[in-house]
Amino acid sequence: MTARRRLAFTLVGVLLGVVGTAGAHGAGLASASGRSLAVPTWLFLLTGGGVIGASFLLASFVTDRAFIRRVHGWRRAVALPALRVLTGVGRVVGVVGLLFVLVVGFVGPQESLYNAAILVVWAGWWSGYAMTTYLVGNTWPVLNPWRSIATVLPSLDRPYPDRLDAWPSVVGLLALIWLEVVSPVADQPRFLASIVAGYTVITLAGAVVFGEETWFETVDPVSRVFRYFGRVAPLYADDGVSVRLPGAGLSEAKLVTSRAEVAFVVAVLWVTTYDGLVATPLWRRYAVAVVEGGVPPNLLYAAALVVGYLVFLGIYRAAAKASKRRARTYVPVEDLAYRFAPPLVAIAAGYHVAHFLGYFLELSPTLLGTLTAPLSPPEPVALLLPAWFGGLELSFVILGHLLAIWVAHAAAYDIFPGKLQAIRSQYATTAAMVCYTIVSLWIVSQPYAVPPYVS
Amino acid sequence: MTEHTHPRQTPPSDPPEEPATCSYCGEKFVDEQLLALHRGIEHEPRLSEAEADAYRAARDAEREDVRLFRLKALAALLFIYFGFIFVYAFVV
Repeated sequence: MTARRRLAFTLVGVLLGVVGTAGAHGAGLASASGRSLAVPTWLFLLTGGGVIGASFLLASFVTDRAFIRRVHGWRRAVALPALRVLTGVGRVVGVVGLLFVLVVGFVGPQESLYNAAILVVWAGWWSGYAMTTYLVGNTWPVLNPWRSIATVLPSLDRPYPDRLDAWPSVVGLLALIWLEVVSPVADQPRFLASIVAGYTVITLAGAVVFGEETWFETVDPVSRVFRYFGRVAPLYADDGVSVRLPGAGLSEAKLVTSRAEVAFVVAVLWVTTYDGLVATPLWRRYAVAVVEGGVPPNLLYAAALVVGYLVFLGIYRAAAKASKRRARTYVPVEDLAYRFAPPLVAIAAGYHVAHFLGYFLELSPTLLGTLTAPLSPPEPVALLLPAWFGGLELSFVILGHLLAIWVAHAAAYDIFPGKLQAIRSQYATTAAMVCYTIVSLWIVSQPYAVPPYVS
Repeated sequence: MTEHTHPRQTPPSDPPEEPATCSYCGEKFVDEQLLALHRGIEHEPRLSEAEADAYRAARDAEREDVRLFRLKALAALLFIYFGFIFVYAFVV
């Protein structure tokens, strides 16, 4: 979050004239800590955990298999006019957007709040657009500029090594987040444009060597994130466009089918957490202590990213094992892990809204301003959000968890013949979710602290 | 779930001596009741008279268990609800 979140932080800071004071009204989420409720933090966190536990109990009252199947199986076709034209326009917008970011990044004004490339990437694309992928539908396969370019390039169609599976996308996702946290990708337009150029070269080379479909379906981490996010969304592509209930796409059996894909879903959840974690005062104190003890800062951030990820994987694996033990089933632990991974995407989506809605709204007037005149942008304008907005953001964290509980409940009913067996299989995952809610609410409620030692 | 064979099956941590095995798809279960439920849910059109009876009996037994579980879940919900009310009353 660091470099990117610092953008909103600077924006509000500029307007209030208090740049650099960590105690000031920070980025979107930091304002949540300004809630002057008389509720102490521990009770607020406990209540969040309690809501998750109680909703698990409430979901367990729904034991009618036919009803659950009907709810999840509900589908309607949507008539979108001129779908072909829309697709064509989407492709053009994507490619023009990529060129825009590259050109404005290299030759535009070099202050972050005046540079349209920075704002398009962080406020427009990674906040605003990413939200549409799980709130509306995954349009990335159409918009993805690299995919549009790759379709017209020749392909060598080299066979993709099967044993690599989705692992390159896991490594790619962790690497991108690491880069986002430690490098000035949201501060220096030229640096951002170089990273985008590098990503373009790697992606196009990969698509040429292995074929466009293999690359974007298997290797490219960004496409994979949006594809999973799209499963939460009500609209989806199916010989045209259809609509389903939000989250219904997550309970299908064929979504996650390998260890590497489980690892990717866990990585999506972990990177959103890590992103917030390194901007807390606790991390700041810890990082300062460790670096003063002689550890190089870059190593510290990378090590924390990897260690935290392994901890998350370990917890997930333990929960899947406990699920098998409680349900007394002959279904292998791996299969349970595949089926119970997709609900985590709903949690990640909820957490993403909580992180980005305020950020997006605060920066959107500036984004629009720079878009109208990218080379001589107007002064940045901030949208100051009302105090209750922090509470609204927190409620999205809870909403994501509720959706996850419901989806996991439906998946368990699909796997197990016994109703109580299905409920028992969810004890461990629910316990893990209660803990995770408490941790993520704590992170979201912390005041923003600029992560130390990163440029 | 469609009808298919289940090649990958691993026993739970406390397996019975002889698992109950589905004659239609080979899936294994720790007891006859779960097997009867599985047959009724997954292979209903192909069930013999005896298997259909076993399914109905298993469903009845399960209904009782679910009723008991709901009472426990309700008690837990009330506990959480009043627990929080008390804590809030004292703290805030």
